[in-house]
Amino acid sequence: MATTAADEAVATTASGSGGGFASRMVRRLTSGPVAVVLAVIGVLWLLPTFGLLMSSFRSAADNNQSGWWTAITDPAQLTIANYQTLLDNEGLVRSFFNTVLISVPSSLILVLIAALAAFAFAWIDFKGRDVIFLVVVALLVVPLQISLIPVSRLYGQLGLFGTIPGVILYHVAFGLPFAIFLLRNFFIGIPAELLEAARMDGAGEMKVFFRVVLPLGIPAIASLLIFQFMWVWNDLLVALVFAGPAAQPLTAAIREQLRTFGGNVDIIATGSFIQMAVPLIVFFAFQRYFVQGLLAGSQR
Amino acid sequence: MLMQGTMRWIRAFALVATLALIAAACGNGDDGTDTPEAPDVDLTGQSIEVAGVWAEGTGELQRINDVLDAFADLTGASVSFTSTGDDIAAVLGPRVEGGDPPDVAFLPQPGLLRDFAAQDALIPLDETATATIEANFASTWSDLASVDGTLYGVWFKLSNKSTFWYNSNALGDAGVTPPTTWDELVAGMATLSDFGVAPHAVDGASGWVLSDWFENVYLRVAGPEMYDQLTNHEIPWTDPTVITALERMAEVMQGDLLAGGTDGTLQSEFPNSVTLAFADPPQAGMVYEGDFVGGVIGTETDAVVGEDADFVDFPSIDGSPTSVVVSGDAAVLMRDSEAGQALINYLATAEAAEVWASQGGFTSANTGVDTSVYPDDITRRSAEALVGAGDAAKFDMSDLQPAEFGSTAGQGIWGLLQEFVRTGDVQGTAEALEDAASRAFG
Amino acid sequence: MSTEQTRASDEARPATAAPQAPSRRSGAGRRLLVALVFLVPALLLLGALVVYPIFFSVLRSLYDKPGDTFVGLENYTRIFEDRQTFIALRNTVLWVVIVPATVTAIGLVFAVLTERVRWSTAFKTVVFMPMAISFLSAGVIWRIVYEIDPGRGLINAGLQGASDLVRGPGSFPGARPSIEDGIEPTPEGGYRTTDGYEPGQTVDLGLVAIPPDLVPESAQPAATSVSAGPDELAGAIWLDFTTGGGGERGVVDPTERGLPGATVAAIAPDGTVVAEAKAGDDGTYVLTGLDPGTSYRVELTRDTFRESFQGYTWLATPLVIPATMVAYIWIWAGFAMVVIASGLAAIPREMLEAARVDGATEWQVFRRVTVPLLSPVLVVVLVTLVINVLKVFDLVLVLVPGSAQADANVIALQMWRASFGGANDFGLGSALAVFLFVLVLPAMFFNLKRFRTGA
Repeated sequence: MATTAADEAVATTASGSGGGFASRMVRRLTSGPVAVVLAVIGVLWLLPTFGLLMSSFRSAADNNQSGWWTAITDPAQLTIANYQTLLDNEGLVRSFFNTVLISVPSSLILVLIAALAAFAFAWIDFKGRDVIFLVVVALLVVPLQISLIPVSRLYGQLGLFGTIPGVILYHVAFGLPFAIFLLRNFFIGIPAELLEAARMDGAGEMKVFFRVVLPLGIPAIASLLIFQFMWVWNDLLVALVFAGPAAQPLTAAIREQLRTFGGNVDIIATGSFIQMAVPLIVFFAFQRYFVQGLLAGSQR
Repeated sequence: MLMQGTMRWIRAFALVATLALIAAACGNGDDGTDTPEAPDVDLTGQSIEVAGVWAEGTGELQRINDVLDAFADLTGASVSFTSTGDDIAAVLGPRVEGGDPPDVAFLPQPGLLRDFAAQDALIPLDETATATIEANFASTWSDLASVDGTLYGVWFKLSNKSTFWYNSNALGDAGVTPPTTWDELVAGMATLSDFGVAPHAVDGASGWVLSDWFENVYLRVAGPEMYDQLTNHEIPWTDPTVITALERMAEVMQGDLLAGGTDGTLQSEFPNSVTLAFADPPQAGMVYEGDFVGGVIGTETDAVVGEDADFVDFPSIDGSPTSVVVSGDAAVLMRDSEAGQALINYLATAEAAEVWASQGGFTSANTGVDTSVYPDDITRRSAEALVGAGDAAKFDMSDLQPAEFGSTAGQGIWGLLQEFVRTGDVQGTAEALEDAASRAFG
Repeated sequence: MSTEQTRASDEARPATAAPQAPSRRSGAGRRLLVALVFLVPALLLLGALVVYPIFFSVLRSLYDKPGDTFVGLENYTRIFEDRQTFIALRNTVLWVVIVPATVTAIGLVFAVLTERVRWSTAFKTVVFMPMAISFLSAGVIWRIVYEIDPGRGLINAGLQGASDLVRGPGSFPGARPSIEDGIEPTPEGGYRTTDGYEPGQTVDLGLVAIPPDLVPESAQPAATSVSAGPDELAGAIWLDFTTGGGGERGVVDPTERGLPGATVAAIAPDGTVVAEAKAGDDGTYVLTGLDPGTSYRVELTRDTFRESFQGYTWLATPLVIPATMVAYIWIWAGFAMVVIASGLAAIPREMLEAARVDGATEWQVFRRVTVPLLSPVLVVVLVTLVINVLKVFDLVLVLVPGSAQADANVIALQMWRASFGGANDFGLGSALAVFLFVLVLPAMFFNLKRFRTGA
């Protein structure tokens, strides 16, 4: 929305009359069919999730016997019982706060540590830089499972086993390779003159980092924050292994609600939407934020 | 690791010695001939953690907590329960490595018990608990919880896996009496087919249901001794008894007898197979699995156990005696603590079993349990069949075998029986099973 | 003015080498120190929680299942001997070749297209939403979509609905004659008597395998003595099954009802259809206009028996791997789109305008200006996806039923199974993990090298 307006503003100012007008016309013409195509894609894309939403309002027996679309012609099937059951559970409420306690620090700490490292890899020329960067990025490959046993031992010795800080550190560590990779790539695109200018003004590397690089890197940082937050919010495996009963996040708490032999679509569907609410809000909020950041960038 | 293990043994021995002294001093069930009573031990101030697969959703979480609360009331200890979900190995493994295991855990497979014992993660049971177990349970149960002669656990909760469930309305309308023999079963299936309902539903998607089918058929075709031999791979899977069992299975696993046909069956998970049999109108007349089917009917369908749903014992084959395939959860000790040992001892008593048994969804092999505590006829019959089968009660074969053969999706007995449903090739399946078993057993 | 040009040319080569700091002997050392300050937190965490486990795993892979006997490379030879692993490897290659490129392409297309639409945030949210869903939920969502039973599976329900619109099911799908003697199936799906009957005769045909709820409400007790005129064949079509049991096959028992709507035809000796009729409420049908001297066979036409579309098996060979890929793409396209969109937004509009002013068409602008400027971002997305695809295991685990697991297996899932899936063989699991790592390293090096020397 705001982007398109900015686009057009820049377009009209920067170009001559003839080419600008024609291009604008072309763009307006092609946007009609584009809108239709995107709308169709959007609806199809949403359909599976919509199915889950409908399922969350149906009983276990109904979900097992018929498809969710039957509720459209037979609304009597719909019930909020599933939501009531889950939300009444006090363990779930506690676990919600645990999830926040785990996800927010994980994301913030990750971004900070990764940005520091990425800046070093992008703009500080030191010996062995490329080799170390290569190794760090190679660690992207390491699957989570590989660390479960050795880190359990390590945590046991350090007294971190079963604690929230232990879970946080684990998530940060495994998010680092991708984060460093992503941020370094964005930071490299920052014009050298800006950094030189700051250095010329007598700023030390830290100041350069905080005053110049971080602000300019906001789009990438915002993306990273969103992904890490969501990844950690939805994590089940690490939580199951490293979080003790008191530290249990939402995913594990919902899992406890599952029946051993059950279709469980009603519980999983309901749990999914309860769980999804926060990441979506985060995405929505940050989406606007980094669009603003871009605006600031292009109006430079 | 070795040092830790040795230390554990020393401490365990010291603990056993201490408890034995205390037991002798208090004169608690010292002659071992009468059923030892619930522990008289005072554990005030001690707290222990117990882990198991049971979760909130089935109501089982509440029931195990009731049992643990009863223990807490008796002894003054405080007990907390942690639900690990089905992947108990994945959760306990790292905890053992991390040096933070629960005090007591309920393990669902003998193989897991053996694995943990091999890792020195289990504490052998003390004399009191051992005495209680030996007094209250048939020797099969101590054997199944022992490794190299050392007893590590008690089989607290069991499932009778030889219950053949049927939709009473469907069978009634079709004029089929619930079958007690194999011939009746086959004839009944033909009649159900004529009636217009798929004779039975099977979970062919996961594989474990198919292995349970095979085990029940084989136990009846070959008897308990050969069952044990096959379990331990002392006879090959190409043995004539296996061939006969597979042929029997083929009689009922034909596409036109299965709900959803062959393809649909191979995509159908266990809860779905139950739903098919108890939907309205029914999509299948019968479904075989263990006594836990009753619980699934209650939560996943609108049918009522006892009215719309009932079970018969798995049909006998050629006059075989009552035989039962069983699975269960064994309580083991993972940390030495006085309270932990006392809890295990308590779990071996009839009293502990009755706390859960009276609420349903639970079967015990404890001979001291009064079967009148079971809340309904269905549960009582299932429990009586289990206890009554005596030596013909055999633990689920695939749980006793190496996991890569007995309990892994897409391979071993699970995968090969799925292929068997698809192809009906008896000889080929037997040979493939023998190959897989040879590789797994080494 | 000149600053803008410099900036523009800089951004045209996004993989700019870092500026050379003034060369002083002590400069290099100081830079290293400064760099360390920035790097220490990351390196510490990575070292302890990621690198150390790798060494641990390599070591562990040289021991057997319980972990106390050294077995050397035995676990690795087991990997190569196992057919399962070969299938997993083949599937992993398929995934790596097809999926990252597809996801990136879709993300690029979406990122570019949404710029032109006012409600781009709404669209982006919709496409991105799957990333906010846990893998367990995503697995359940797609199970519902792919379910084989048309009553419960989204795709199959749609297909069945469409097929029923074109031609609906018969009145008694799946039914068959109650007695096998004297009647045989026809190739089209009906049933025809083997003997011929001359007009004036009564031919009753009983059917079974019709559940009570499929019998029309209007059905009456079956007619027992239907008479046929000299040029007619008549009889009753009835449900030859007594509810509650006790009936006799081939005989119209008292409670058995007719099957209204069943379609019957008279077939002449040369195979042509001479007359058709529909059974009435008591099952009576009358085929008229027949030649008294000829003997006709009576057929229950296939319209009676036609079954509705039964559903494709999406989650079994050969469709299961593409089906799983589609689910994965659905989840990750949003990621590609968002990252590329933020890269796209960082491209200064002046560059695009300059190209347009120079007379380039939209497509040329896209190909010659946009894509090259985006290439670092595209590489990031592509590489991330390749790595992620190599690690994919939870989606396959949850979505694919056990009967198809062997066919849909991937390396990371094989590793999970070995370590945690019951066998608890950490020796083998670690070996598989190391194997995966080794497989990927050359690809990583290649990508990074190419990327370093300038995109």
